[in-house]
Amino acid sequence: MIMCTKMPVVVWLAAVTACVAQAVGPNGAAETPPQSVAQAMAIATELAGATGLTGQAELSAQADCVAAMQAAWIVPSLAAFGNATPAGANWLRSGLERAADRLGDALPAAELTAFVADVAQPPRARSLAFAWLKARAPLQADALLAAMLDDPSLDLRREAVEKLLESAAGDGAGAQAGTAAEKEIYRRGLAAARDVDQLEQIAGWLTDHGEPTDIAVVLGFVRNWRVSAAFDNAKGVGFARAYPAEIEHAATPVPEGWKAVASTDKHGTIDLNAAIATEKGVLAYAVAAVEMPRGGLAEVRVGSPCAVAVWVNGKRVMTHEIYHASEAIDQYVATADFRAGNNVVLVKCCQNEQTEAWASDWKFQLRICDPLGKPLATQMPATQK
Amino acid sequence: MARLRDTTPLATRRLPNAVCTAGIAVLLTVLTVAVFEAAAPAADWPEFRGGLGLGVAPDETIRQQWTATEGIAWRADLPGKSASSPIVVGDLVVVTASSGAKQDLLHILALEKATGRMRWHRTFWATGRTLCHPTSAVAAGTPASDGRRIVAMFSSCDLLAVDLDGRLLWQRNLAVEHPRSGNDVGMGSSPRIIDDTVIVQIDCQGDAFALGVDVATGADRWSEPREKVASWSSPLAIRLPDRGACVLFQNPNGLELRQVADGKLVWSWRGECAGIPMATALAATLYVPADGIAALAAAGVPISPAWRSAKLSCGIASPIAWDDSIACINRAGVLVVGSIADGAIRGQVRLAGSFWASPILVGKTIVACNKEGKTFLVAVDGEPKIVAENELPGTFTATPAVADGSVYLRSDTALWKVAAP
Repeated sequence: MIMCTKMPVVVWLAAVTACVAQAVGPNGAAETPPQSVAQAMAIATELAGATGLTGQAELSAQADCVAAMQAAWIVPSLAAFGNATPAGANWLRSGLERAADRLGDALPAAELTAFVADVAQPPRARSLAFAWLKARAPLQADALLAAMLDDPSLDLRREAVEKLLESAAGDGAGAQAGTAAEKEIYRRGLAAARDVDQLEQIAGWLTDHGEPTDIAVVLGFVRNWRVSAAFDNAKGVGFARAYPAEIEHAATPVPEGWKAVASTDKHGTIDLNAAIATEKGVLAYAVAAVEMPRGGLAEVRVGSPCAVAVWVNGKRVMTHEIYHASEAIDQYVATADFRAGNNVVLVKCCQNEQTEAWASDWKFQLRICDPLGKPLATQMPATQK
Repeated sequence: MARLRDTTPLATRRLPNAVCTAGIAVLLTVLTVAVFEAAAPAADWPEFRGGLGLGVAPDETIRQQWTATEGIAWRADLPGKSASSPIVVGDLVVVTASSGAKQDLLHILALEKATGRMRWHRTFWATGRTLCHPTSAVAAGTPASDGRRIVAMFSSCDLLAVDLDGRLLWQRNLAVEHPRSGNDVGMGSSPRIIDDTVIVQIDCQGDAFALGVDVATGADRWSEPREKVASWSSPLAIRLPDRGACVLFQNPNGLELRQVADGKLVWSWRGECAGIPMATALAATLYVPADGIAALAAAGVPISPAWRSAKLSCGIASPIAWDDSIACINRAGVLVVGSIADGAIRGQVRLAGSFWASPILVGKTIVACNKEGKTFLVAVDGEPKIVAENELPGTFTATPAVADGSVYLRSDTALWKVAAP
């Protein structure tokens, strides 16, 4: 059980016990709503902390309690998302959503507005509150977006960027398209956006209007690598096999004899078929030196249609033994500990022996970002010592 | 809907080609009984391909002609993307969808069957992977209902059960429990509810498994590992008198038949099967999309292959069988009808476009909706013949549903109810 930290133990325990006892009737249906904001918050906190596979009937009854909350207790209960488990977030959402549906316009817009504007609140909770506000008071919701270009909620930031670009379209349609003011709006959007589709849209617009914008740079792909020769991966045996190169060069930026490869692809792709040869049942290593502005945790984000493993400074941080089941930017994400300054990233990219044309790709892309997707790494080209 | 009963001794001829010699020859065990019965339907059109999952509604009669402005009872806008079919439960039509930049907001919606008005709309956050191919969707699996509950499965491996008022009853975040489950093409298998057990098929290159879950509580009844290979096929309910309810799982490398109650393996077959369309069953015979259709019949012990026809080829869409016939839509968009006795071709008709939705049989008419929004009505009481082509705007990848004489067609943006005649 998770307990609300601002609540006395006795209140919390009594609230949860009372809710479960009252809520579970013969049909498992809710019977009595919470009697105080303290009870309401206790139940919300309990729900948000739900784990495990047992006790789902009790959780469902607690969600009924949440669904029966008074309007004034809904917004305070949103804070419980801050400690939510994946399952708990959905339990709490299900109850609150039913409460919001029941309350309709009685849900207090002023409190919702204040909650959405408070960046210290859980991002998902703010996003949910924003959706409720937008449905009830669209102008109030809209007015919040101007201050959300740097928001820690990716959902809200996306809405803010969208709103910003709409203002450019309004100002610069037709003969005014591409004015200095409009370009400035797009530059602001480029700095604020984190979603790949928005960034590509903005970079494309700027390029089309006389400001060439390299999306590979915007997205921060690591583009300069040293690539090994091919190693055996017949029947997939190589994925789990630690070849000497893997052991020796996981922390070595420039292995002797490895081929320098620089991606010119807009998505930073390193094409191993082109770099080595078109082969099946093989694997290769690629190593890059990256410069980080500060030490600490950062996200390694990889896309590949092939099986991949990644090491950062000699420590393995990611393995995905999946072959030719789609690919995407940021397909695989792992958190790794980086040093301030120089770091070494090693990728093992494995090709299988499928013969279909769509299974011929042997490639990967990689970038290093903060949790919101802002690129962090810069690079001394691996071709330079 | 009538239960399917065995009335015919099963054929014992050997399959004529590689599928029978290589595939059927490696049957690992045998069925111990000769009679198939399908489970009774619990609602009007309660799951993927309707009651029993067979895609047939022989007692229904539907309108022959409709357009976006004529013959439509109502149209409802939908809040997100989906390839899942609508289901009909009592006075509700239930659909699923996903939305958001990462398609990680999951939707279950219940509309009033009579009016199309939203009765309730629940949303949940995905807890697993939500990447998928543009032609698929995070909401690709069709929900299932036992008439009291609705169970929805998403590509994120979130299995969610709500009651008919939209109360969340239980949830299973299977990608949290099995972090290597799922795939980035998108999972497409639909859940089944058989004898109060929810059956889920998670076929992927990571953690692949089959799961039987108590529909009332969400608790495991059993879990069995499966081969680590991707498939998008859905389980098929089959009832054997001395085994009780069983469920057939299909992947590109073969079949498994398991008892619903405990997951115990009853029978398996190693051989080439399709990875997307599911098998169907009729009169003690399984019709399996393979390289064509492989008919597998059980005449007690041992099980015997019946026939195979490469001409009865399924593309994405699943086959349907009725009376003495079976029909498939191949990748070229040709509807081919054959005999269930031996696979002999009885006729074919070229439709148009690509087919992601499976055809259904309504009365003696096949309803086949192509991706481009054209629904073909093909009379099959004789030589197959197109009797109507009805076009709606949008992209259609969801298999139609039918109930009370109305057809429900789901596009990428809307749900259409075609009025009863």
